[in-house]
Amino acid sequence: MTSHPRLFSPYDEPMWSSIAAREMRLQRCAGCSAFRYPPGPACPRCLGVEASWEPIAGSGRVLSWTTFHRQYLSAYPPPHSVVAVKLDEGPIMIGSVKPEHVAALAVDRAVRMVYVAHPDGYLLPAFEPA
Amino acid sequence: MPADSCGASLHKVAAVTGIAHTDWIEDYRRVRAGDKPFDSYGYGALAFSRAMADAGISRSDIDGLIVGPTTAYERMGEVLDLNPRWGDQADAVTAVAKACMAIATGMAEVVALVYGNDQRSAAIQYGGPEAMGGDAFLSYVYHSPWGLTSQGALYALMFRRYMALTGTQERDLGQVSVAQRAWASRNPHALMQKRITLDDYLAAPYIAEPLHLFDYCLINDGGVALIVAEASRARAIATKSGKPLVFVDGIGRADLNREATSLGPRLLEFYRPAQHLAARQVYEMAGVGPEDVDALLVYDSFSCHILFALEGFGYCGEGEAGSFIARTGIGPGGQLPVNTGGGHLSESYMQGWNHQIEAVRQIRGEGGDRQVPDCRHVHYVSDVAGKVVSLMYGA
Repeated sequence: MTSHPRLFSPYDEPMWSSIAAREMRLQRCAGCSAFRYPPGPACPRCLGVEASWEPIAGSGRVLSWTTFHRQYLSAYPPPHSVVAVKLDEGPIMIGSVKPEHVAALAVDRAVRMVYVAHPDGYLLPAFEPA
Repeated sequence: MPADSCGASLHKVAAVTGIAHTDWIEDYRRVRAGDKPFDSYGYGALAFSRAMADAGISRSDIDGLIVGPTTAYERMGEVLDLNPRWGDQADAVTAVAKACMAIATGMAEVVALVYGNDQRSAAIQYGGPEAMGGDAFLSYVYHSPWGLTSQGALYALMFRRYMALTGTQERDLGQVSVAQRAWASRNPHALMQKRITLDDYLAAPYIAEPLHLFDYCLINDGGVALIVAEASRARAIATKSGKPLVFVDGIGRADLNREATSLGPRLLEFYRPAQHLAARQVYEMAGVGPEDVDALLVYDSFSCHILFALEGFGYCGEGEAGSFIARTGIGPGGQLPVNTGGGHLSESYMQGWNHQIEAVRQIRGEGGDRQVPDCRHVHYVSDVAGKVVSLMYGA
């Protein structure tokens, strides 16, 4: 059991702590107010390095989705689906979606964030139709 | 933004004077039988020897070396016993571009481009917990906690959205795999020569839906090499070898990195802004447009690359690729031959390197049963992960 998956940068940990608290936060640039994802060292919009961790609404719209019919990862036997969501705050985020919700997916469909358990023990943000 | 015109400075600066590849079919047979005939360096060395023989040159003629991304530059140079005055490492299309740039600036005159890949026998993974790519392409691995992994799934997301926005159907995409297999059926070097129908395509299982099995490239071992030489040296080499010269007439490049990890260039733009910029560059430098192209070769790790390339490079309008293919024909006998060797889907997955030698063969007139009549201009497009690079080869 782990509290979070592999971290890719020194900026990742606060995000996973916020997910564990069921209140996902993203970095928001102190200079231009843009949210960014994935977490990183500077704001891609204005290159400012000062940022705060702000809660996101958890709402967004579907960009696309795919269903895996082959197993690649032990945690995800097929069929398993993921959805790409344009968060209302701006960034694009990938999340999982339960099989019973896949038929309702469509481009621009409103979705909301929910929290689900990964088999390794940590919480993950996922999406379902709003 | 700097001017998007790069003029004609690399137009016919260099020509391809030698091409070769390993015996992909025999490599595939032996690897599937559990044998390991060569590692990546071995495949590269075999292809390199054959490319020198094709050009009629020896190692003392070579003063530049570019190796593929699958081998270490120093070790490949050691294996080939080359001490060039200029060297680099690059993917297929960038290697050709870099060779032309080195030649244009006088850093080298005769450059060997050498690629070897033992990806099948070494069980290289392009998805799952051991997926290669790592942090260099973060989208490869960043989303795996949610179960998103593999290159195919990234293109499945891209194509699903494209379907929704354009009304394109799976059977429209299936035309690509059927046409490329038809080309491969005429190519004695292709791994998959048995023709398939649209029904075969649709009946094959999904891997990452909406992509089916035949939308995916092959995974096989092998090697490819090319000899690229400064124009006057190339003419002298060609006079001796008797092989027709194939010039690099144009080069274009543009990259999309904004929101790359979260797939923005794919999902928001279908790579189009970079394709448009690269298209203007390559067409302007070559002095030709899509209407002049005799064959189009596209980096096809997945079949949907062809649709995006046709639209992004001005062969048809946005969202029209499916109907364009049906109307025009991209297989044997079609008005726009595409991936005439069978491409990565059916010939060999040499990560763009097999397309370069197919371009040369078609312009030389060495295409055999798949020869495009009077082939003078071959256009190559690579847009992997929104890094768009394009070449125009000319007689």
